[in-house]
Amino acid sequence: MKLLTHNLLSSHVRGVGPRGFPLRLQATEVRINPVEFNPTFVARMIPKVEWAALLEAANTLHLAEVPTEPVEGYECDEAFLRKMHHVLLEVEVLEGTLQCPESGRLFPISRGIPNMLLSDEESES
Amino acid sequence: MSAAPGEPGLGPPVGARFFCTAGRGLEPFLMREVQARLAATQVEYISGKVFFSTSSDLNMLKKLKSAERLFLLIKKQLPFTVSSVSKGKIFSEIQRLINDDPGNWLNVISIWKNLLELNTENEKLPQRDTNPLKRKVGENETLVAKKSKTEQTRKIEENMECQVGKQREEETLEQREPVATREELPEAASENDVEKAVETHPQGQLTFRVSCRCSGTIGKAVTAQEVGRVIGIALMRQFGWKADLRDPNLEVFIHLNDIYSVVGIPVLRVPLASRAYIKTAGLRSTIAWAMASLAEIKAGAFVLDPMCGLGTILLEAAKEWPDVFYVGADVSDSQLLGACDNLKAAGLEDRIELLQLSVLELPLPSESVDIIISDIPFGKKFKLAKDIERILQEMESRLFSISQDCMFAGPRGRCLHRCLHSTARQSSAERGPVNSQKADSPRVLHAGGTIVLLLSENHYLCLNDREESSLPVNSKGSHTDEPGPEKCSNPEENIDIPETVSSSQGASNQEYFCKMSPFGSLVPEDCYKVSLGKTEAFMCKYRKAHSSGP
Repeated sequence: MKLLTHNLLSSHVRGVGPRGFPLRLQATEVRINPVEFNPTFVARMIPKVEWAALLEAANTLHLAEVPTEPVEGYECDEAFLRKMHHVLLEVEVLEGTLQCPESGRLFPISRGIPNMLLSDEESES
Repeated sequence: MSAAPGEPGLGPPVGARFFCTAGRGLEPFLMREVQARLAATQVEYISGKVFFSTSSDLNMLKKLKSAERLFLLIKKQLPFTVSSVSKGKIFSEIQRLINDDPGNWLNVISIWKNLLELNTENEKLPQRDTNPLKRKVGENETLVAKKSKTEQTRKIEENMECQVGKQREEETLEQREPVATREELPEAASENDVEKAVETHPQGQLTFRVSCRCSGTIGKAVTAQEVGRVIGIALMRQFGWKADLRDPNLEVFIHLNDIYSVVGIPVLRVPLASRAYIKTAGLRSTIAWAMASLAEIKAGAFVLDPMCGLGTILLEAAKEWPDVFYVGADVSDSQLLGACDNLKAAGLEDRIELLQLSVLELPLPSESVDIIISDIPFGKKFKLAKDIERILQEMESRLFSISQDCMFAGPRGRCLHRCLHSTARQSSAERGPVNSQKADSPRVLHAGGTIVLLLSENHYLCLNDREESSLPVNSKGSHTDEPGPEKCSNPEENIDIPETVSSSQGASNQEYFCKMSPFGSLVPEDCYKVSLGKTEAFMCKYRKAHSSGP
């Protein structure tokens, strides 16, 4: 699971609503995976990022050099884009958990795939 | 090295005439594609084939994604009139396909060789040992006949235009098995194409095999087997070629029906629909690509397939539209493992993320997704109308909607405008002047997200017959109560696209589109009925117009 993906996940436990975001990340196995740098793509992802959630996750993983906010003219700032590329796309959480901040429910991540399935009691309807 | 004609440095043939077979319902996609990709001219769709002219080279031709197979056209003419019982008369007419204009045959074959040679002009082709089959003429006839018979049997499957059909009966999401696994990637096969093409016998002899399809009136008068034999003999006599049923240089394809008589040669051994980059096929690749093309994927989009199965749709999309964030999700462990495998085999594991979740409970914030493309399982799992509605509701709320408020619409962090100003809910992104160009631009209406779904006939009818949406639908698709309103066609009728649709584009899809109803804030935009081999499906596109609620 990449941090860009983590940035999009929220808890769907019954009654939690928007308080189910962001999920608290805990990782037991992380891999740094070189990915071809595509500045155009990274630049397009920047507006989609929820920064607080990203910083929290990056912090948990003890990542260094994580920009705290988008800089003006970021589309042309290669240094900035490269850092974002690394944080968003090259850090893979292979094993760990995601925790709903409201209910405490844990969602496991195994083999890089988060399991967000809820039991019947937990789900909304 | 190469015994084939053609000068070095000769450009690709100018305006060669081709045709492609296409799955039923995909013809409008193919017509658009040949025009867009190949700048094709004289594009016509007639009875399951799209004919076109182009001077594109083989690399470009191989990129066609909505076609089944690609052929060079040798002859297309009016159907044979079958007025008398005399087969002899019919056979002599068939022979004229070759004998009237043998020069044309040789010309097309030389175009074919040029196409394949230019594809590998930098490669040194190994000189393979040819093993010409020495047979007496009589034996040849029998062998040609035998093979034609197998062709005829195969023809029945081929008539469905699907070599890898998707299993649609009695299937739940979890139980869906991969339909086809290839040991060898077709890429290897295409090299063989070239070797076979240029490796000719001395005196420029080729080995060949005839593949024949007969239907309609002429199909009742003669068999494919007989036609194949007649063609085979005529070719041997005219050009001195030898028949090779197992591994010929050249395949000759002939299709006779009530609309036309068509003769062509397949450009490649392997159908275009067989993708080198897909290890285990789930949904038919041509349909997967067509769905992705309908979705209007743009660079920077977030595309989700919440029932991705083996990931076919995302693979096709990622290959065509690379600068996009793709996420595939499924309930099933085994499907996800298969998808993971597929991603690795295609080299796309870095570009497509996987999640395990239920489409009925999407763990995504509202308005966070730009595009949703999915093939909804046909089986028992989502049989009830309310299941389909629930799925659509889940998707609808996650989908990005139209907004007039800012440059990059959508409440969630995606509005950079907000990010760099104080209205954002995150305090961290407060300062900094906005890029002045953006700040001064007028407010822009940002189009809503799109959903493209592949629905069974059952699901399609459920969604478009909203008055009865609470009623359960039995497995045959008929309602338990009275028939629905007029706009919903009788589910027990066979909805059949007539074979003889002429070159009018999209005549049939209008019919299905008109029957679609809006769903909440989802506005129908397009609809195509497509064949999956054994069953049929509806490719439906919706766009989100406005947010339907909190």
